[in-house]
Amino acid sequence: MFDLKFDGVSKKYKIREEDHADASPHKVVRKLQSLWRRSKEFWALKDVSFEVERGESLGIIGPNGAGKSTVLKLLSNITSPTTGEIKINGSLSALIEVGSGFHPELTGRENIYLNGSILGMRRREIAKKLESIVEFAEIKPFLDLPVKRYSSGMYVRLGFSIAAHLDPDILLLDEVLAVGDLAFQAKCLRRIEDLRRSGTTIVFISHDLGAVQRLCKRALLMRQGEIVASGSSFDVVNQYQHTAADFSPPDLHGLLITKAAEITGLQLFDLNGKPTEAYDTGQPLQVRLEYFAHERIEDGVFEVLFFSGSRELISQFTTEVSGDPIDIEPGAGVIEFGCAEIGLLPGIYYVDATIKHRAAPEGSHIDWQYQRALLRIDPGRLVYGKFYMPHQWRHQRESLASHLAAEPAVSNVVS
Amino acid sequence: MASRNPVEAIRASTFESVAPRRLSVIRPPSLTRLNLPANLSKLFHYRDLLYTLTVHRIKVRYKQSALGVSWAILQPFSMMLIFTIIFSLFARMPSDGAPYALFAYAALLPWTYFSTSLANATSGLVSHTQLVTKVYFPREILPITYVFAALFDFLIASTVLAGLMIYYRVPPSWNALYALPIVVILTAFAIAMGLLFSATQVRFRDIGVAVPLILQLWMFATPVIYPLSAVPARLRSLYVLNPLVGLVENFRQTVLNGAAPDFYTLGLSAFISFALLIISYTYFKHMEATMADII
Repeated sequence: MFDLKFDGVSKKYKIREEDHADASPHKVVRKLQSLWRRSKEFWALKDVSFEVERGESLGIIGPNGAGKSTVLKLLSNITSPTTGEIKINGSLSALIEVGSGFHPELTGRENIYLNGSILGMRRREIAKKLESIVEFAEIKPFLDLPVKRYSSGMYVRLGFSIAAHLDPDILLLDEVLAVGDLAFQAKCLRRIEDLRRSGTTIVFISHDLGAVQRLCKRALLMRQGEIVASGSSFDVVNQYQHTAADFSPPDLHGLLITKAAEITGLQLFDLNGKPTEAYDTGQPLQVRLEYFAHERIEDGVFEVLFFSGSRELISQFTTEVSGDPIDIEPGAGVIEFGCAEIGLLPGIYYVDATIKHRAAPEGSHIDWQYQRALLRIDPGRLVYGKFYMPHQWRHQRESLASHLAAEPAVSNVVS
Repeated sequence: MASRNPVEAIRASTFESVAPRRLSVIRPPSLTRLNLPANLSKLFHYRDLLYTLTVHRIKVRYKQSALGVSWAILQPFSMMLIFTIIFSLFARMPSDGAPYALFAYAALLPWTYFSTSLANATSGLVSHTQLVTKVYFPREILPITYVFAALFDFLIASTVLAGLMIYYRVPPSWNALYALPIVVILTAFAIAMGLLFSATQVRFRDIGVAVPLILQLWMFATPVIYPLSAVPARLRSLYVLNPLVGLVENFRQTVLNGAAPDFYTLGLSAFISFALLIISYTYFKHMEATMADII
């Protein structure tokens, strides 16, 4: 039995153009002309069909402008399709940009009633859930203050908390988890997980691919208004990660590459030697670099570079500063790069590898392999912040016995 | 029990019995498929939002103002003072025998209700762009809450009318009860115009600029500062097509003069108001489908 059904849905937006070849020089006339002139058409969705079963959670991923938000707007009835039909079986609530219905002059309590009713709750229902909403949002002491006095964190927490108490049959989620601090985000995720387990059908639209994999069994990949892939969220996310990468090499111009030796392979392994692409922050990582040298290279240098999805250099490691000198003999060989704890923040990274001579001039390499591997980092031992540090926790307790022995007892607690 | 899923616990406490699911179908907008009863039932489902938003409109308006609710009285009252000075001191305006201040206030009361409603309701949608593009709820709630908030002001300002009637020793008669159906019709007309203007304002912001001018002209086309009897008889059949004529004049007649209403003009106003309400609502719901795209 389906809860949601898109049947050949298309959505056209009109873009009116005021500047046209035969446009009148007069502003008013031009404005009037634009009213009857045929406007430019833009298809945000093209013949999209899919179904969501009861109790299922479906992720929708894709680059910006793929039509994900249009799907959400159509589902939540904010706008209507141009053609096609959408069937919704049951009550549906959307958790989009929480807090947009707040009024700054009104108190937290008044805003709970206001926002709750905007989301379709009855007053009686809100009164019943008020305590639970306030508790979840952690704003109890500020309940009767105007929300304009709230910190942005309180604002966001209250917004999510109201929406999280909706109890719809079908829940739409859109990047909502990108709000608040990570501790609160984790709380929100748990809440959504609870809803999912209690049988709520969920449609989750997000750029957080790790969250999509965790939360959804099935996923759709959209591109330019069409569904290009559908299947298990694990497969679809993987497919997206590989097609999302721009594999055309960046500007090679001005780079001198001799190819006296070539990098023939680059693979990522976890602690158990299993090839993997997804890691958590704080996990160990092994990079295996295979090369083939056509001639002897004295004092060669290997480099591993991590780039962000937008091709920003995040970190560069080189044997020039952190390894022993290497003389490369002709033939095949392997270089291994090992790291005990990944310090990268959650996100997607591309790995480059290079070979060069020690102290080679800028832009002169023996080989440079662009985006040879892809690496996805999920939140792991990191909770919040700008970078990760390898760390341990130690709990030191001074017992009576240790006082007597004048030597503290140490119990090691590793998080 | 300790490890019970918290969501299930909330569900169990709020839904004693599981309601049957309702299947809704979203299709491209089309006038022939517009289902008014279904839309009205949806509006009914959101009645709490209508109530909450109306109360908040009133609260927000008076929350940080020193004079508070007295503003609701001040507006018609100061207009009444000005008109009384001009039309009973400077120039003589017939007032059907009643003291001019009373005569003017009894008409300014329903007129102010209407003009405040329309002026605020017109911008009711565009001033909530954030909400309209983010959340779904029946959009007509936004303009309608402005009408209801103005109705609250109307009720507050009515107390001054009662005070003036005591001051001028004008006793009300049972006919004053006709004011109730008149206010109902007036509300219907204000909602109809509010829906029409607010939906059009989404596409053409010109409406918002034009409303103050329209209201100014409209007031002079309505017997507020002069009696209906001052209008030349040959123009009157055209003049009464303005629904506010039948409403304002009959409000004054029944409350001040204790006379029975003129059922022809009142009936005409009622007919136009309710017919327009159906048309406006249909138009509004048709526009609603793509409102979020162009707002």
